[in-house]
Amino acid sequence: MAAIRFLFVFSVSICLASGCRPARVSVPAGDAEAAGKLRATLVSTPASGGQSDAAAATGTGWATLKGRFTYAGTVGDPKALVVDKDTEVCSKGGMKLFDRSLLVDPSSKGLANVVVFARKTTRVKNPVPETPLVFDQKNCEFLSPVFAARVGQPVDVRNSDPIGHNTNIAGSSFNQLIPAGAGTVYKPDSETGMPTMVTCNIHPWMKAYCVFRKDGYVAVSAADGTFTIPDLPAGEMLEFQVWHERSSGPSGAVGLPKPELKWTPKGRFQIRLEADEVKDLGTLDVPAGALGS
Amino acid sequence: MSLNPSMNTNVASPSSFRFSFSVAVLGLLLAATGCGRTPPAYFRLNMVEATKQRLSPDQERQVATILLAMFGTPDEPVALPETGLDLAKLKLAAGPVRSDIAGRKNGLYREHCSHCHGITGDAMGPTAAFLNPYPRDYRPGVFKFKSTERSDKPTHDDLVRILHNGIPGTSMPSFALLSDVQIDALAEYVKYLSIRGETELALMRAYFELDDDAEGKLPETQEFLVAETLVPVAEKWQAAADARIAVPEMPAGLDLATSIAKGKELFYGDKANCVKCHGPTGLGDGQANDYDDWNKAIVEIGKEVQSGLAKAGETSTSGMSADEVAEHRAQLAWLDRFGDVLEGDALRPRTIPPRNLRHGIYRGGRRPLDLYYRIHAGINGAPMPAAKGTVPPEDIWHIVNYVLSLPYEFDGELGADRTLVAQGR
Repeated sequence: MAAIRFLFVFSVSICLASGCRPARVSVPAGDAEAAGKLRATLVSTPASGGQSDAAAATGTGWATLKGRFTYAGTVGDPKALVVDKDTEVCSKGGMKLFDRSLLVDPSSKGLANVVVFARKTTRVKNPVPETPLVFDQKNCEFLSPVFAARVGQPVDVRNSDPIGHNTNIAGSSFNQLIPAGAGTVYKPDSETGMPTMVTCNIHPWMKAYCVFRKDGYVAVSAADGTFTIPDLPAGEMLEFQVWHERSSGPSGAVGLPKPELKWTPKGRFQIRLEADEVKDLGTLDVPAGALGS
Repeated sequence: MSLNPSMNTNVASPSSFRFSFSVAVLGLLLAATGCGRTPPAYFRLNMVEATKQRLSPDQERQVATILLAMFGTPDEPVALPETGLDLAKLKLAAGPVRSDIAGRKNGLYREHCSHCHGITGDAMGPTAAFLNPYPRDYRPGVFKFKSTERSDKPTHDDLVRILHNGIPGTSMPSFALLSDVQIDALAEYVKYLSIRGETELALMRAYFELDDDAEGKLPETQEFLVAETLVPVAEKWQAAADARIAVPEMPAGLDLATSIAKGKELFYGDKANCVKCHGPTGLGDGQANDYDDWNKAIVEIGKEVQSGLAKAGETSTSGMSADEVAEHRAQLAWLDRFGDVLEGDALRPRTIPPRNLRHGIYRGGRRPLDLYYRIHAGINGAPMPAAKGTVPPEDIWHIVNYVLSLPYEFDGELGADRTLVAQGR
């Protein structure tokens, strides 16, 4: 009896002393010696000021890149969104809102809303546009499911609904009330990297994506899947990033089996354009497995 | 006659058996729990982000080493000059709880903060899971209650104010009993943990941006680590003091009752739209199924893992090439690992209810000025949007006056169209 009691107390104490919380994955420790050496190089003053590893411009002239994305997979019926707020406006006359994350043109198989942008460029032809880009919302839906703007370009965030919305751009600290029929101008101050989500917290089904680039070399594919990026610097190796909301690749990257363009699983391809060239990549077929649920 | 010592054990009484058993139990307990020195405290890597970015073990090790070089350890903090941090203050807050030769208390963060906010400032201290709301995770560098614009960092004084007053309605207590020097040191240490955490996030995200010829290794140069990674984070903290919201005076000669009535109109109107989330009675019962940014990040990863596992379950490997099978297996291993990471490195996500405005409890401070800041800039990290730009300052003051009157508003004054809702509560 005594032994059993001891065993019980023993096991309880072990459990208490060692903790019963879920195990945490082990984390690698930093290398103290390497860290010490690295610290010494970080606190010393740089060898030469103004040294930059930005590649120097290697060419002159400008060129255009075009292409068309298609999707081979089956597209089911679009999912109706759950609309449970302000139904007198958002479900006016039995209107339904649908999920727009996979829009494929039935006749041409064109895939809309694929984002293509240049990762690094040495030259930029056009100044930042001063005309505002309109980003509107109506019937409790953002009118542009995916949009691109240049850093510093005014984006006129509008609300054409008779009810109030708010527009919240993830990772940007922009989250503004947009009263009924009003608008506010937002100037993106930094690049987004991959596109970032835009939501309305009042109406949680509302969703869009935006991408901001400093050089403006970015395109969003149209309803028929076509895209065009004009005025690209010619004569240098350009690397493009390709993204789609539904891509199952890392961070939404779209990888295509196109070795001639060195297309990687990170959704990047490389190309060099000649001055005044209009390069058409032709049909870029996104395989069925590349876009997830 | 016999001198055989075993004789004694042969006649051992039950009590001596119990004694030896106790010794054995004690020995085993010590062996199991360890009676040696406690290992030194360490900063835990942001495993949620590392896994999200699919970092390899070598890449995780590189981040750990870079952070060790740039920020040191919880016992021996390092502050590069670019951080703008005061190392003397950090040393007062860092390390184990102890007194120095002058009798000053050291290790203040470990004594007062780490049990909730965690050694790393990751809001994963041992008590964190039991608190509602959860403690703040400093690593994304987002703070709610401040006198600056939404996208700016809080000022040093904002942090001092929170430490001094605590956050009413949460588990964050007032530290008014600490000396000004101690509170100052803790505010500095919070900035240190935040800059460290945000630098860590930037480093982990930088792997995806690497060119292919970098072979998955971040450049360990001053240019990249300090100028491109640390400085953009640290500069925002240094700029905070000049980024305070310019608050116009409350209109002079304003009749309070009129202002409250105007505020009420705005509260329910389409311009300010407060009613959508805070509810028709101000009880915080409007839009209530949203998440704040910290929880939303975990919710979204959870969804990604769930849908990934569901998709993997439907996928058949027959007919796949060897490469595709390998890729499929790698994806499954990653999903499994993510499950394990979330188990130990994230708390169960919770929705964020809009504030019940009838309690008279204001987390970011109860001065009219504090409410002005909250409405003008919104609350960073939370769904609360900014009214700035679309609601003029005078109207913001009216809303402040109305909100401050809400805890004292009589049921009978709610208006005929709303009494029914109010009675239902």
